[in-house]
Amino acid sequence: MELVTDKKILTKGNYAIANAAVMAGCECYFGYPITPQSEIGEFMSGKMQELKRAYVSAESELAAINMVIGACSTGKKAMTSSSSCAVALMQEGLSYAASDELPVVLVSVMRGGPGLGNIYPSQGDYFQATKGGGDGDYKLIVLAPSTVQECADLTYKAFYLAHKYKNPTVLLADGMLGQMMEPVVFKDYPYPKVDNSSWALDGANNRDGRIIRSYAPSAHNQCEFLQKLHQKYKLIEENETEWEEIGTDDADVILVSFGSTARNAKIAAKMCREKGLKVGVLRPITLFPFPSKRLSELSKQGKKFISVEVNMGQMINDVKLAVKDDVKLINKPVGIPPAPVEIVKQIEEYYASF
Amino acid sequence: MEKIFLIAGFGGQGVLLAGEVLANAFMLADKNVTWYPSYGAEMRGGTVNCSVTMSDEEIGSVQSYNSDYVIALNQASFDRFLPGVRKGGTIIVNTSLAVEAKPRDDVKYVFAPLTSLAEEKLGNVKMTNIIALGLLAKSSGLISLDELEKALETVIPPHRKNLLPLNKSALEMGYKYDLLPINC
Repeated sequence: MELVTDKKILTKGNYAIANAAVMAGCECYFGYPITPQSEIGEFMSGKMQELKRAYVSAESELAAINMVIGACSTGKKAMTSSSSCAVALMQEGLSYAASDELPVVLVSVMRGGPGLGNIYPSQGDYFQATKGGGDGDYKLIVLAPSTVQECADLTYKAFYLAHKYKNPTVLLADGMLGQMMEPVVFKDYPYPKVDNSSWALDGANNRDGRIIRSYAPSAHNQCEFLQKLHQKYKLIEENETEWEEIGTDDADVILVSFGSTARNAKIAAKMCREKGLKVGVLRPITLFPFPSKRLSELSKQGKKFISVEVNMGQMINDVKLAVKDDVKLINKPVGIPPAPVEIVKQIEEYYASF
Repeated sequence: MEKIFLIAGFGGQGVLLAGEVLANAFMLADKNVTWYPSYGAEMRGGTVNCSVTMSDEEIGSVQSYNSDYVIALNQASFDRFLPGVRKGGTIIVNTSLAVEAKPRDDVKYVFAPLTSLAEEKLGNVKMTNIIALGLLAKSSGLISLDELEKALETVIPPHRKNLLPLNKSALEMGYKYDLLPINC
């Protein structure tokens, strides 16, 4: 596979992510293969070596995430990629990276779970990404692409936000986005360089030594640290919450949906409009920070909400917290998202229930 | 306008590649397009399919059940995907590996012995999928031979460029194949 820098090509979401990571200046890739994201490692194995950057085919997911922690400690742009049951193995590392305040980038291409599950698309790791499986009060920045173009664009953004906030950042895609091909244009990396000279372990030549560690020797220190960490999360919520809205102004009902599923939600909303039902769509692009404030505003206007997901209902909890009201769930447990006609049918039933 | 194409056959018949060529051709024609494979624990000789959705507008679903056009390269694919062809849709059938039959009367059938044509006329059985694309271009009128040729140039990797002329002949053969009778 060639690195594409200047033209429109048709490619898989996985290749788009890998190509964009290289263009974002990712200097180190560590990973262990798993369907449905193995193309990322495949692309990196050739390209990173060609560009004299670091590629390590790690012996396990634990090794991969800890290698990323090591590379990020030196201020380098480093990443790993994996899927559901293997991201589960990385949770300890992510918690450490959050407490070390390291710019770890993780690409998580969701498949069916729990356990080994299956290899089909799923959004069952919404909780895993936004609530975390590691210990302690930490947050990961989570970005959810909906198209192959966004797979590329949000990969750039993931590197930028991770370094800007010194916080582990997850690009949360799914098997459908990873495996499907769509046209994509790779723009130049659009974000400024982030200065890491105040913290990176880049050699104590002519300066005092530094230490990055996940350990607070006293209760007092840990309190201070957590306050500081959560001030950062608040700042991220204020500055970086991103979402897309379609036809919400005059809508009675708003479909809240992210990632690949949002594509079908949008079509369903359009079909509803053709039937005279005022349905809009709000698609969170950042899952943390979640667009709670906007949902709350819309709720105060008397609108009703339906969460559309490919899981048993996970994001719906965040929607409920934001709108302080009952929220209907339209879901499919696993697989490609429910067809627009199925979504429309359930929306019509919902309207009929009033 | 949105059209869904489904290509299905044995692993090794070039099902995914044919879909990739078709999707690239639509991209070159400035359409929105998605390509989605059946992926996972597939093997050579097993069944494989991919769907290509083309639209002037934003594309949502990548479902592969209801299609406007189906290319069935073997009997199993014909049996499995004929029920999902939309009313008035078209199914292109490789009669070298499937029986010429018309179980439904609300779809159009295009029958051609694709494998035999590839083997006997072009001397390369691997051209089966590309001949099918030629037939699709002709019977659908939705993509030109020129765009498909350009797509072939994009998709065929540098170390296989020697096969480009043969692939182009295959496209043309499919395009010129006598489509009659197309019956409803």
